[in-house]
Amino acid sequence: MEPTSLLKTAVFLPLLGAFLIPVSNLMSKEIRNSFSVILGVMTFLSTALLIPVMLNNPGFSIGARFPLGFDLILTADMLSVFMAAISSFVSMIILIYSVDYISHYENQTEYYTMVVLFLGSMMGLVFSSNLIWMYTFWELTGFASWRLVGFFRSEKDVLKANKTILVTIFGALCMLIGILMIYFENGSLDMRVLRGDTVSMLPAVLILVGILAKSATLPFSTWLPDAGVAPATVTSLLHAAVLVKIGIYAYARIFGVTLVAPESFSQGVTLLAGLSALVSAGAAFVETDIKRIIAYSTVSQLAFIFLGLASGNKVAFAGGLLYILMHSMAKGGLFLCAGIIEQKTRVKDITKMGGLFRTMPITAVSFALCSLSVMGIPPFGGFFSKFLVFKGAVESGNLLVLVIFLVGAVMTLLYLTRLFYLVFLGNAKENAPLEGSPAMVASVAFLAIAGIALGLAIYYPFDYVTVISTQLGVNLQ
Amino acid sequence: MNINLIPILLPFFSALLILAVSEKTKYLKELLSIGVTLTALLASIITLGNSLGGDFAEIRLPWLYNLAQFSLKADMLSAFILASVSLFSLLIAIYSFSFENKGPSKWFYFNLLFTQALAAGAVMSDSLITMLFFWEGMLVFLYTFIALSKTDQASKNTALKAFMINAVTDICLMTGVIITGYLASTFNMSEIAENKLVLSGWATFGYVLLLIGAMAKAGAFPFHTWIPDAATDSSAAFMSYVPAAIDKLIGIYFLARASVYLYKLDGTMSMVVMSIGALTIIIAVMMAFVQQDYKRLLSYHAVSQTGYMILGIGTLHPIGIAGGLFHMLNNAVYKSCLFMTAGSVEKQAGTNSIDKLGGLFRNMPVTAVCFIIAAAAISGIAPLNGFFSKELVYKGALETGHVIFFLAAEIGSFLTLASFLKLGHSVFFGKRPQELAEVREAPVSMLFPTALLAGLCLAFGFGAFWPINVLIAPSLANLGMLPACELSGFHLDNLYWVSVIVILLAVANHILGVSLAGNKASKASDHIHHAPVLKPVYEMAEKRYFDLYHLVMNKVPAMAKTLFKVDRLMDKLTDDLPSASFNAVSKNLGEAHNGSYLLYMAVTFVGIVAYILFIGGMK
Repeated sequence: MEPTSLLKTAVFLPLLGAFLIPVSNLMSKEIRNSFSVILGVMTFLSTALLIPVMLNNPGFSIGARFPLGFDLILTADMLSVFMAAISSFVSMIILIYSVDYISHYENQTEYYTMVVLFLGSMMGLVFSSNLIWMYTFWELTGFASWRLVGFFRSEKDVLKANKTILVTIFGALCMLIGILMIYFENGSLDMRVLRGDTVSMLPAVLILVGILAKSATLPFSTWLPDAGVAPATVTSLLHAAVLVKIGIYAYARIFGVTLVAPESFSQGVTLLAGLSALVSAGAAFVETDIKRIIAYSTVSQLAFIFLGLASGNKVAFAGGLLYILMHSMAKGGLFLCAGIIEQKTRVKDITKMGGLFRTMPITAVSFALCSLSVMGIPPFGGFFSKFLVFKGAVESGNLLVLVIFLVGAVMTLLYLTRLFYLVFLGNAKENAPLEGSPAMVASVAFLAIAGIALGLAIYYPFDYVTVISTQLGVNLQ
Repeated sequence: MNINLIPILLPFFSALLILAVSEKTKYLKELLSIGVTLTALLASIITLGNSLGGDFAEIRLPWLYNLAQFSLKADMLSAFILASVSLFSLLIAIYSFSFENKGPSKWFYFNLLFTQALAAGAVMSDSLITMLFFWEGMLVFLYTFIALSKTDQASKNTALKAFMINAVTDICLMTGVIITGYLASTFNMSEIAENKLVLSGWATFGYVLLLIGAMAKAGAFPFHTWIPDAATDSSAAFMSYVPAAIDKLIGIYFLARASVYLYKLDGTMSMVVMSIGALTIIIAVMMAFVQQDYKRLLSYHAVSQTGYMILGIGTLHPIGIAGGLFHMLNNAVYKSCLFMTAGSVEKQAGTNSIDKLGGLFRNMPVTAVCFIIAAAAISGIAPLNGFFSKELVYKGALETGHVIFFLAAEIGSFLTLASFLKLGHSVFFGKRPQELAEVREAPVSMLFPTALLAGLCLAFGFGAFWPINVLIAPSLANLGMLPACELSGFHLDNLYWVSVIVILLAVANHILGVSLAGNKASKASDHIHHAPVLKPVYEMAEKRYFDLYHLVMNKVPAMAKTLFKVDRLMDKLTDDLPSASFNAVSKNLGEAHNGSYLLYMAVTFVGIVAYILFIGGMK
């Protein structure tokens, strides 16, 4: 297939396919389910096939003209393909896992439509090289996420869904103002044209507000734990492993490879990220709801990614990108483990669990392996991403930020071991449940092993992210 | 294939293979492990020979793009440590053949082989990142080693303690590595050594972080506290392998590399390192002296002996460093041997508690003789191996001109001998309890490695010139240091007479202690244990008042709660506050909507006036 066709498939297949899901539901549930999964698989395949294309191609664009410079331009380069492949991979896993998991809930057609719509708008966002289209897709993902968090209809769930969309839209509107300011200052919204331009403080901060709101970072972090609890586990995972990466990606795209922000801006971001890492790690240590803990852990880990991307040097930038990959795998595994545990025990409070290792050994080991990757212990892939991010922090020369993140890394060890001990070790409660269904257990085991495999075969992903940061990076040391 | 890869890859793949072997098979796992460790040892010996001949068999594979290569290199120091790692792996594999108290044997050998593979990788790494990869990789197996050795929750908690202490210090090590590599613009140790880093600013920070990593691995104060706990909550085979041998080898190896090879230390830092060494000696031996559990007593000595190695290396003097490295080897030999005797006694007599043991010499003569040799060696009695390495450390300490470190080391020796007199007396001599009459000698598979190590205590003592000339001196040369004088040899100098006095004092102390305790050897330490000032201190120590791990862990919940409050505050600011203020505004505006035309007209009028004024103001 032609690379341009792959790109078109990756974006428009899920985007348009989503609207056909309700139609397919008219035929039968099975057709609807298979159609959704096929959309997910096809999207992932088309992005995955773009990876080898990118290895010897600097990137290409396709587009449609619109007045006033609002052209829809889709650009495939190493960064967008990297991000698209990761997020479509996790989304595909979610769709597969959902067929079993979601089967006994209501509103399934809405669920599938929204997940696929989310996937499509995510692809549109990742490949857009026009800021205004990026914003458009950004809001579309927000809409899909609103419906997904509000999947259950109780008042509590609706409130949490509203919180999610209000916080992210507030950020997005700030970002829109920032984008317009860039348009008036620099005369273009095409990031290919803007590449290398400087951006002044105010628009940079406004865009940052949008990014922080979307990527659940201090001070806009608390919607994610709420969104992580309300809906089904698969939705929490979609948020924790995919949606929050949108802000991260936007940061990498706008401030990493396009515009040059003032130095104090990046320093402020690293400091803010450090505080976010600490605060959320503390919260993860205190919380007792298993999914809230994992959601707080996500907030905390996102801060490490921000540290990598904002440190201002190539090594750290590559580390931040590698972190996105490793974190998506490991966090995906953790959430899916939590899903199995919750489904089997019907309990969310970890203080009421215990001794599950004996009855759910595969889930327990997978959970442990994914935790080790999040902690950054070799041979797991997480080790390398953590190493690079810290190396970047050292090179940026800011001792305070370094120390904050060191404490954050220690806190990561603490809350993850606490979680593991309370859930899997200790005294078994009565009626300890058995292992989850084979498909679910297999998917968590797969993600756990993927963490080791990525660590052992680190040569390839490392190569890829290093090339991104050296070829595309703007103003990186 | 490059021979350096055998000690890494062979145990690695065999460990995976062992997982596939059924737990029910008898001796298959054991024999496989013995075969693998034996092969690895032979390969290591060839590597050592090649290395002494100048062939370091370097391997460089593309790994982390332009950041680091996957580089392994067996220079003389690395080859020496590698051979030691392989030797202890083999001996423990043999020892564990019929030692049942090690937990499921499948997992035991799995952990053993993985630990061996990673340790071998860590000592042979030339790139600091490669080293870190192997070094930190051992964490998981440290945890599973302890956690799977027993089925109770206590072993899980101790495993967690070991894991946390090592994980946190590994993070320090990682940061130290990053800083070192950044300052030197390379992660290859052999390249950094050509242009050693000088302590100042970031370099000092970097060195201190490396120091923390190395000392925590070696089990020095204040990172040692998991070791005594592991002594009670894990097996003798594990204790004999990891805390007694592998951890010491790796930790002290890297301490030497960091302190001499990578950095050029100054006098202040040398004092800091020596002080940590001296503190470790004294604090741990004080604790060891009063223990009533065979393995726990040994475990405190495992910590205390580390102090000698750190002190020796901290002198920065070739004699002291030689002493530190030689002591590292000797300690691994006699401490492993001592833990093996503990395991044998535990297996045969069914207890570790020394007040329930006694008179076992008649029942277990070979074990007892091995114990006596190893105990004499650890106490530094001439002419056993421990004597020679301690002498070198003493000399190194005296060379620095700070007599206080020499005194600390001698006090350590006094208490070491005193506690081994107590231990040996209460286990192998004195009155034998009735229920121990039927106890028999340990099986041959356990006696063989124990006796071999006891034999090494003799061989490295009487023939101290061999390890010194073949292993230690080339390692020193490797570190870029050449001793000015002959390192081996027995001298009837003042130091020798000091050691004789220390021995006599310890014997006198023991006789006094036993008689004060009413002829009960296990209570021979009570006169010091219950001495006026020491008694409350000991009580506080037993309650873990000085355990850094517990001190920190007790603070964590409060700290986390404070951070959580910040999180809740943010939630109020971004959720409750906007909601409340918008609600208030809309409520007030809503109330104004009361249907009164008069009010509407008034508002419209005010609006028009304001608009006109605003437009007027613009002009």
